[in-house]
Amino acid sequence: MLSYLAKIKQAVESRPAELAKAREKGAKVVGYFCSYVPEEIIHALRLIPVRLEYGGDEHLVDIGGRYVSKNNCVFIREAVGMFAEKKDPFVRNSDKVAVATTCLQIYRLAELVNHFFQVPTAILVVPRSFYYPEGRKFFQKEMGNFARELETFSGKKLDAGALRDSIELYKNIRQTLREIYKYQAKDPAIIDWRDVFQVIHAGFYLDREYYLSLLKYLLAELMEEEKKVQAGEVDALEEKPRILLAGSIIARGDNKIINMIDRMGGRIVADDLCTGQRFFAGLEVKDYSLEGLADAYLDKVPCASLPYPFPLETDRRLANLSQLIDECRAEGMIYHTLRYCDPFTFKANETKQFFKDKVAFMEIHTEYAPSDEGAIMTRVEAFMELIFNLRASKKVLVK
Amino acid sequence: MLKSVKMVTHNGTVSFPEEIKEAFLETGGLDFRLRPYASAEEIWDFMTREAPVRFPYYYTSSPYTAAVYKFPDYVECLWTLKFHYMLMSYRDRFLAAHEKGIPIVFIQGGQGMEPYHAARCIALRPFSVMLWGGSVSAKEGISLREKAVSDMQIEEQGRREISPESCHLINGHQWIKQGFVPVSLIAPYLCTRCSDTPYLAESHRSSDRKTPVLMVDFPVNSQPDQDWPVEYIAESLHRLVDKLAEAGGRKPTDEELRQSIKLMNQGRKYVRDYVEVWRSAPLIPSYSNDFGWLSRFSGEYFGEPEAGVQLARQAYAEVKERIDRGIKGIEVSEDPVRLFICGSCYTPQADRIDRAGGAVVGYDDFWNRATIDVSEEGDPYVNLARAMLAWPYERPTVERARWTVEQIIKSRANGLIFAYHWGCQLQSAVSRMIAEIVKKETGIPILYLELDQLGKTQTVEQSENRIESFIEMLSVNKK
Repeated sequence: MLSYLAKIKQAVESRPAELAKAREKGAKVVGYFCSYVPEEIIHALRLIPVRLEYGGDEHLVDIGGRYVSKNNCVFIREAVGMFAEKKDPFVRNSDKVAVATTCLQIYRLAELVNHFFQVPTAILVVPRSFYYPEGRKFFQKEMGNFARELETFSGKKLDAGALRDSIELYKNIRQTLREIYKYQAKDPAIIDWRDVFQVIHAGFYLDREYYLSLLKYLLAELMEEEKKVQAGEVDALEEKPRILLAGSIIARGDNKIINMIDRMGGRIVADDLCTGQRFFAGLEVKDYSLEGLADAYLDKVPCASLPYPFPLETDRRLANLSQLIDECRAEGMIYHTLRYCDPFTFKANETKQFFKDKVAFMEIHTEYAPSDEGAIMTRVEAFMELIFNLRASKKVLVK
Repeated sequence: MLKSVKMVTHNGTVSFPEEIKEAFLETGGLDFRLRPYASAEEIWDFMTREAPVRFPYYYTSSPYTAAVYKFPDYVECLWTLKFHYMLMSYRDRFLAAHEKGIPIVFIQGGQGMEPYHAARCIALRPFSVMLWGGSVSAKEGISLREKAVSDMQIEEQGRREISPESCHLINGHQWIKQGFVPVSLIAPYLCTRCSDTPYLAESHRSSDRKTPVLMVDFPVNSQPDQDWPVEYIAESLHRLVDKLAEAGGRKPTDEELRQSIKLMNQGRKYVRDYVEVWRSAPLIPSYSNDFGWLSRFSGEYFGEPEAGVQLARQAYAEVKERIDRGIKGIEVSEDPVRLFICGSCYTPQADRIDRAGGAVVGYDDFWNRATIDVSEEGDPYVNLARAMLAWPYERPTVERARWTVEQIIKSRANGLIFAYHWGCQLQSAVSRMIAEIVKKETGIPILYLELDQLGKTQTVEQSENRIESFIEMLSVNKK
């Protein structure tokens, strides 16, 4: 039994009340969208970073659609709906909202919530020419500008020592998450991918020092469990089709695809979601300065929102997917795209062709509504059957 | 020419009346950079003898002919013949130039052209590529219906390959991928007007042709007085001209780039003068289509800025004379409902607007760039960067909305139409926000239009019904 999973879950449940109390005592919360927002800066200024991400609520999508349009990404529509309704405890407890303009619809989101709901915002412009020196130079200066804006908000100057400490803290968090992540793909699995996904999400809300301590305890528990499995004391989980889940953001509350894969007998063993593995993939801060932070964020596994017009073989996003397939021994990729999420949708066919000799591939294009559950179920079920058949045919070939 | 002369219609085909020939010949020809001077005689001959055979869909008398190449029922301004000549003949000029080694470069709709022009390249935006592809692949001599089918087929192919959520711009990229338009380089600015351009440009990396791509980033939310975004864009423009030279153009000197800037500034000035006299005129001087073409012309000049600037000068002179003499457009009302149009890539069937009692008095797309000149002194790359960051359409939305309010007040618009196409996320996202600000400041009613008709022929009826109803409603308000 992994007792720290339950502790982490409890901690997340009580976090909104903690945030409210902290704000009463004068603390300020910076809610943010997009994994390119450097939490390190927010944390170093003694502000409280909270990643705002919620999905799967048709009602909020409908409300948001009154301010934006039905032509916009369903995640954005729901996000606008969250601000309109102000029921989400993390939105209610955010004093400022920061966005990185990796995806331009998220930039529009910032403009809309600022205008319609008077939410103070801070914008970090991410260069789309991130692979050229001028893009890097721009982002280093933009990072400085972002820091200055948050300094004004916090009423403090960014101290180099505090920044160093924050960078070190987040390095430890990422490293521990990487270790934990490995366990969910093991055979037999010690922990389910879904639980790891929840653990990563917990890191968007919890006090970061406390979170690191919880992660370390969890990691210790996993190591113990592994010993027991190796000693034959614990039953291994049944072997199911091994699925890599890729594509558009899967936010807290958006469980449709995950539930469907589970229900149809699949096992997620890896993901490249910005709310999952890609949150920490390839992010290594080498220089403990704002410039170093900018470089690290540009050098991490890139989001598909940043167009990359060079040969596919040089695309680090695809290289990360390839590595995940190998390391986690994925047999199939379910490429999940949200309605009007162009960065991922436009690349579905290209991704399929790129991996056609490596892994079975299926795109599921959906939005936050239950109306397509039946159709998705049929497709996922067929995909699992396909993988079983591929396994069987490989065994025949081996014979 | 100060009178309106009716187009000749015979068996569903329109032609230019012989009556206007003499006046037209007196207007002189056009100097093109890529070919010799085209005299007025030559242009007349093309428009009356050659083009009707090669491009019969232009000469079809149909309510469904797309607005951009629709001839109105009357010829009121002679410059419009030259406009159509440039539109119909550019493929011939560019193919000939391309065969001599001049590269054709695919750019974005709402951007500047100076670097491409200075590097001796032909810069074509998606609309021009779509027109080119539509007439090449489907062969010349096709009917309006055949052209519509051809366009829809290429769109279907594009949407199958990429996504059905792409806007119609995908057609331009498909024509290139399938080899119908010989583009040497895809090099757009990544302005915020378009959500699809970055990903459609990126998609060429996995096409068979693998046309090289270089994108000039536009850092959103940035100000022209912030050094680091200016530096970023300026360095990107340096990289652009290097790439243009590599593609077969030539690396311009700073002075050559300044000369291109000067030329485009001239064009922008004529367009501004044109728009100012139009919208302040007591009577609307000609068709809303004329206004639409010219007010947005400095966005591209169909790849020929030298000829385009001459045309803009002539257009301004003609319309000014009509206004000074109190001449009203023959199919425009005495007191029309004045409409301002927001949104990317949208051209209404303006002749129907005129006939319904309306008139178009402003656009934000393309026009906004004509309001910003590029400084002609000093570092041309820095100057271009500062101008780009000043384009009202690309500003943070609150600033864009304030500029729109100013334009609406100056143009005395009675109503705003905010139109966006299927797949156009960045415009649809801010349509209500801009409309709310406009409504608060001006009180004018607003019509939102969601369309899927970019470049299409027979999908306009639904939107035109709504616009006509909007005009009716506004005309009641006016009384």
